[in-house]
Amino acid sequence: MGLKQSQRIAYHYAVTLRRTLTGCLANKYFLVFLLVIISSGLMAQTTVTGTVRNEKSEPLPGVSVTISGTTSITVTDLQGHYTIEARTGQAIVFSFVGYASKEIVVGDEKTIDIQLAVSAVDLGEVVVVGYGTQLRKDLTGAVSVVNSADVKKRQATTLAEAMQGLATGIKVRGGGQPGSEAQIQIRGLKNVSNSTSTNPLYVIDGLITNANRDFNPNDIESIQILKDASAAAIYGSRAANGVIIITTRKGKEGPMKIDVSAKSGIQIMPRYDLAETDEFKRLNYMAYDNAGVARQKLDTTINTNWQDEAYKTGTINDLNVSFSGGGKNGSYLTSLGYFGNKGTVISTGFDRFSFRVNSQGSKGIFSIGENIAITNAKTDEMGGNPVLDVVRLLPTIPVYNAANPGGFGYGDEAKARTFATNPVAIANLIAQTNENLRLRGNIWSELKFASWLKYRLNLGYETSRDHYKFFRKPGNWTLNQAYEPSIANENRAESASRLIENTLAFKNKFAKHDVSVVAGQSFQQNDYAQIWGEKRDVLVNSEGRYYDVLDQGINAKLGGFRRRATLMSYFGRAEYAYDDRYLMNAVIRRDGSSVLGTGLKWSNFPSVSAAWRISKESFFNVNWINDLKIRANYGTLGSSNIGEYETRAFINTLTTIAMGANQQKELSATQVQLSNPELRWETLKQQNYGFDLSVLNNKLSLSAEYFIARTIDVLYQSPILMTTGHDGSAPRANALTLENKGFEFSATYRNYDNPFGYYGTVNITTLRNKIVELGYGRNELYVGNTVTSLGQPIGMWYVLQTDGLFQSQAEVDNYKNAEGKIIQPTAKPGDIRFRDNNGDGQITNLDKVVVGSPWPKLELGFNTGATYKNFEFTMDWFGSFGAKVFNGPRSVMDRFDDNSNYRAGIRPWTPENPNTDVPRAYYGSTLNSRGDTERWLENGSFFRLKFLSIAYNIPDRVLKNIGFSNAQVSLTGQNMLTFTKYTGLDPEFSNGSIFEKGYDFGAYPNLKIYSIGLQLGF
Amino acid sequence: MKKFIITILVLAAFITSCNKSLLDQTNPNTLTVDEFWKNETDAQKGVNAIYNIFYQDGTWSRWIHFRLDLTSDEGMSKSPWVELADWTRFQYVNYNFWEGNSWTWRDTYKAIFRCNQVLKYVPDIPFTDAVKKDRILAQARFLRAFYYYYAALLWEKIPIVLEPPVDPGEQAKENTLAEVWAQVEKDLNDALPNLPEQWDAPNVGRPTKGAVYGMLARTYMQQHKWSAAKTALDYFITGAGKDLYDLVDFKENFRATQENNKESVFEIQYSKENTGGDCDCVDNNMGNNRAQFFAPRGIGWSDGQARYWLVNEFKKEKTTDGQIDPRLRYSLFYPALEADFGDKVYGRSWEWGADEAWFKKYSRDYYRNNEDYFSEVNIRIIRFADILLMYAEVLNELDQTGNAYQYVNRVRQRSKMAPLAAAYPSIGNNKEQFRNRLKMERALELCGESVRWADLKRWGDLESQDKVNAVAERDPDFKNFEVGKHIRLPIPQSEVLNNPNLNQNPKY
Repeated sequence: MGLKQSQRIAYHYAVTLRRTLTGCLANKYFLVFLLVIISSGLMAQTTVTGTVRNEKSEPLPGVSVTISGTTSITVTDLQGHYTIEARTGQAIVFSFVGYASKEIVVGDEKTIDIQLAVSAVDLGEVVVVGYGTQLRKDLTGAVSVVNSADVKKRQATTLAEAMQGLATGIKVRGGGQPGSEAQIQIRGLKNVSNSTSTNPLYVIDGLITNANRDFNPNDIESIQILKDASAAAIYGSRAANGVIIITTRKGKEGPMKIDVSAKSGIQIMPRYDLAETDEFKRLNYMAYDNAGVARQKLDTTINTNWQDEAYKTGTINDLNVSFSGGGKNGSYLTSLGYFGNKGTVISTGFDRFSFRVNSQGSKGIFSIGENIAITNAKTDEMGGNPVLDVVRLLPTIPVYNAANPGGFGYGDEAKARTFATNPVAIANLIAQTNENLRLRGNIWSELKFASWLKYRLNLGYETSRDHYKFFRKPGNWTLNQAYEPSIANENRAESASRLIENTLAFKNKFAKHDVSVVAGQSFQQNDYAQIWGEKRDVLVNSEGRYYDVLDQGINAKLGGFRRRATLMSYFGRAEYAYDDRYLMNAVIRRDGSSVLGTGLKWSNFPSVSAAWRISKESFFNVNWINDLKIRANYGTLGSSNIGEYETRAFINTLTTIAMGANQQKELSATQVQLSNPELRWETLKQQNYGFDLSVLNNKLSLSAEYFIARTIDVLYQSPILMTTGHDGSAPRANALTLENKGFEFSATYRNYDNPFGYYGTVNITTLRNKIVELGYGRNELYVGNTVTSLGQPIGMWYVLQTDGLFQSQAEVDNYKNAEGKIIQPTAKPGDIRFRDNNGDGQITNLDKVVVGSPWPKLELGFNTGATYKNFEFTMDWFGSFGAKVFNGPRSVMDRFDDNSNYRAGIRPWTPENPNTDVPRAYYGSTLNSRGDTERWLENGSFFRLKFLSIAYNIPDRVLKNIGFSNAQVSLTGQNMLTFTKYTGLDPEFSNGSIFEKGYDFGAYPNLKIYSIGLQLGF
Repeated sequence: MKKFIITILVLAAFITSCNKSLLDQTNPNTLTVDEFWKNETDAQKGVNAIYNIFYQDGTWSRWIHFRLDLTSDEGMSKSPWVELADWTRFQYVNYNFWEGNSWTWRDTYKAIFRCNQVLKYVPDIPFTDAVKKDRILAQARFLRAFYYYYAALLWEKIPIVLEPPVDPGEQAKENTLAEVWAQVEKDLNDALPNLPEQWDAPNVGRPTKGAVYGMLARTYMQQHKWSAAKTALDYFITGAGKDLYDLVDFKENFRATQENNKESVFEIQYSKENTGGDCDCVDNNMGNNRAQFFAPRGIGWSDGQARYWLVNEFKKEKTTDGQIDPRLRYSLFYPALEADFGDKVYGRSWEWGADEAWFKKYSRDYYRNNEDYFSEVNIRIIRFADILLMYAEVLNELDQTGNAYQYVNRVRQRSKMAPLAAAYPSIGNNKEQFRNRLKMERALELCGESVRWADLKRWGDLESQDKVNAVAERDPDFKNFEVGKHIRLPIPQSEVLNNPNLNQNPKY
């Protein structure tokens, strides 16, 4: 399960790091850039050779072979052979990703053949930690490694979506619709600005960027997630939300290898069970009759299933081919990819073409390489919100109605009083596309002055050409809509990000002292510019075809803007290890950002971490424990993830007024928005404590972390009062302090001793956020149905409590406060009884109380897999427990005050049906259906089979006959099974507002996906 | 290789040496506040921006008509959007309801912010012509008073903000209604000396002395300061404004065909020239949305309509030549419109309820069959007919009932209605009866012109249960009206919760 992939990674790194280092410690004290290296006198050596095999006795290439206590390293070749110089009595250490390391003391023999056993943790795995690598066993910070093979098995538009459940502390909520980008959150909420700024920093081949929808996940070689402050500190600013480091694939030594993969799948939209015309009519008339309103004249000859009209089965096609190879001094990889998605909502889709070239070469001390990707992604955007529209539309409305402008059916004053919008009309009348051509890449070169000292220059460049296009034909999609002519709107934009980095790296070993130091400087500049234009009444020919260009037409509008931000940084990291037992790591970074206030642009972000490998101590004699390491760290990180010019207040010069006898246009200009000029760095201070334990011959590994993260001066748009006269989203302020405490636990058991091999991993994450300061001296902040108070988590549900239904007039009359005042005098049997929490004898906003938290108490991932002969089986589960969520669509379906469709089978209160929690149906009054009550809150817990895959590897003997080196066929399913009490479409929905995280407004649900895949190599 | 290394080191040195300027990025798109407010053009643009608020949805472009016309006994809502309709019948559940409450509150303070900017920055700008500067400042004062006047009508005890905020976190203090009225009076009186009797053609539409006197009179009248109100109104009757105003063809008060005519005392300039959004953006809409929201079902959103009692009231009295009151023809769409006057409704024959009526004033039915968001019809805030009726009311309250008749008659005469004494001889010099008749005269002349809510409050018709019951006979929505509570709106809940200096209005 993914071993092949990690083997390749290890092999790759072993090859690039291949060297023999000799040296000894001349002095206890040393300075980083002024080292005196004295070669140690060489003793008599013998040459040891041998073959390393895996548990199936197959040769293992890429195994690193070292002499303990020295820096001698070599790696096994493709046949598993190795050759190394060693002295008698020295220990040879064989280590390899995914396998338990072995130590053999050299005796007289010249040949040592060994077999490695699979281990639960890849302690020897090379982990990319930013401007360098570390061995997994030497990590002092919290770093997760995601198996890129697992990621590639999934049908996902973006990388984030594919990573769900594959690492602890990572929370992903998918977008669902074609081309939509998933939200990802590492270790909870550190920042409350908006959905995109909680995204982590992505570093792709050293380029600080974003793995958005135009990045092809198939190009990934490895993914590491830096979760805590000490791990991420080298990236300083913008790393507060964690860092995801992606390395793309490189060619390997050998003849050209061609890899082909093809996946094809279908997507299925979850659906509501909604009333059809007969049931709708009965319920609708009941609501009208109860309210004493004359019934509307429903057209019962129509029975439209709006979900059938708006939804269809989506399709996904993902094709990739790559060509790679290399020699001793160079390698290349070229890959081509196509990803196509026809959405589950009519007239939506996404297409991506991608092309990548990665190559590198070296001559002497000089090496150079580049990673360049070109992608073109085009989205056919969704208009309106069909997820809500299908609920709001009545089954008695026809899809088409020639009497309406444009010819589509919608509400009618006499027959169907609703403002619901017809998604078929929107799909036909509006065409909306978004296309981006992106070039993303870097060129790097390295000078290796000595085996222990190298200089690297990294030039990164990313640019995109964006084109958004909107065209609207005349015609209506909702009742009483104002007339609009044809409208064409387009914008074209370009973005460019330039990065220059210089780093100097020192790495050496002096007896038992391992030292490595990196120092560097980085400069990044981001530019964005856009122009846009619009016209109305565009040209149309006699056959009704519109010319959707900004040429002929009236009411021309145009506009444009430019933005630039710069970031300047200096950083350094020192790592020190003594005898593999004591590990230390210190990072300092100094960042300057153009987006912050004058005099507040620069800040320092230090961090330190340490680990102690107890299992290596001589006193430690527990032979069933293979490895035990405890870790602690403390670090600070900065964030300045805000707009380019938010520290200044500007004049809005866009508007005009009409004035004078001829109503001439006059210019107007004024300050519309307030600003806080003194914006400074948002700072995350994090402590992390953890241990790693491997037992039972490395079969079982456990890892646990506890962390306390405090984000101070969060740059966030703290709502301000309307009496300030400010308009738009609130100005950014360093307004809030937030604390996250969390515990992560992960356990893996692996057993590949038998032909039937299997593994299982359990990830558990608990997290609690708490507001320490709210900004502008506030104690509480109210947004929608939530309150955020000091000492409490963000966005707690704050609503009226309900207490069942009134069953009789007597119950209404007897529902009094202490003073005997009837609390709901106008209520009738069947109405909701609300709690008069302040006892004033009436139901008002003052009766609202906190009734629950939108945050899960526990999140659980369970990944398991097995192999038997040529079959591989994988299954991933994800569960979230304890959140209370607001079911927005149900607050539409189960209300009777307004006209929308109803849930099939709903039985409102009637004298004949008193045992229900659905109040009596009553048209035209919000009293039973008001949105700010407990009625719409539900248990949001769920446990979901995110992924299931069965793969068959075609046996070697068959392959040889047909000329392939490997071939695999797989069947996968995503989101196939969900256990939940939530009655909405998807308990795993996503809401961009941090204060209303648990509010399902009719979010596009996660889809069920079934696909078949084929991978070939030759 | 050496060259290569040197190149890199030079490059690195270059980058590190110029970091200061690299981190100072200025916005290439627009001026900072510090760069503005420097010259006469800036001042002119700044004061123009206050007028821009008239195009924003919370104010006279859209939602304030729901508060002033629909909440009053002249209007109602049968909107399929139940919450929107609830807010016209005193069923306020969610005090943050954006369309019903918070939007208008927000835009009111947006306007005040713009006024405060002009009043803070313009005094320091050098002008070659001092009169021009004074006029700019006086416009800002007038418009600030204008917004506080309507805010006082709607919410009563609101914070008075007179300076642009220094800190976005500022929490304004609550003021009493009396303090708000005092502020309105102060701003109007300060504006008065510096505004002209009339503007030159390019500036028609800006407030004149008449506009100030009209607003002053309204402010005094709401406080029952009758003699102060009379003094203000004297400007139109005996003062310098005597010859500036007159009554015109009734229908031309609600159409785009003869705007800023002689009857107009203050009106908001709307234009369909732009077709952008109702926002501070390029090509911003300079029209209003009222007709799109009030047009009958199938034509507009039909969120607001007129109470049918108005139709009956119009038909109670014939003109001197025995015809139906011609004002009905231009005030309302009603079932017999075509039969009575031969007019269709947006080209359609009556297809709505037999007991329904819609507001025709400000509709564009006179030249088109549909509506949109870009209505160019100016909204008349104060017209001379209103001034005359106000004057009559003030005189009556000052026990000069006999003197008051002539002003009512002048309004009636235009519509060929007999003099009041002839039509209603029983009133005589009875102040009470005169006032009662005047209430109906105002409804017939001014229905749908956003004055009724202030009228009901001023007359005390919402002060006791008996009086509210009487109103509820015309408008059953008033059955929901709770005396002492619904006379003012709830303050948006988020403003109260997030501002310790502000309390919610009583009983909410």
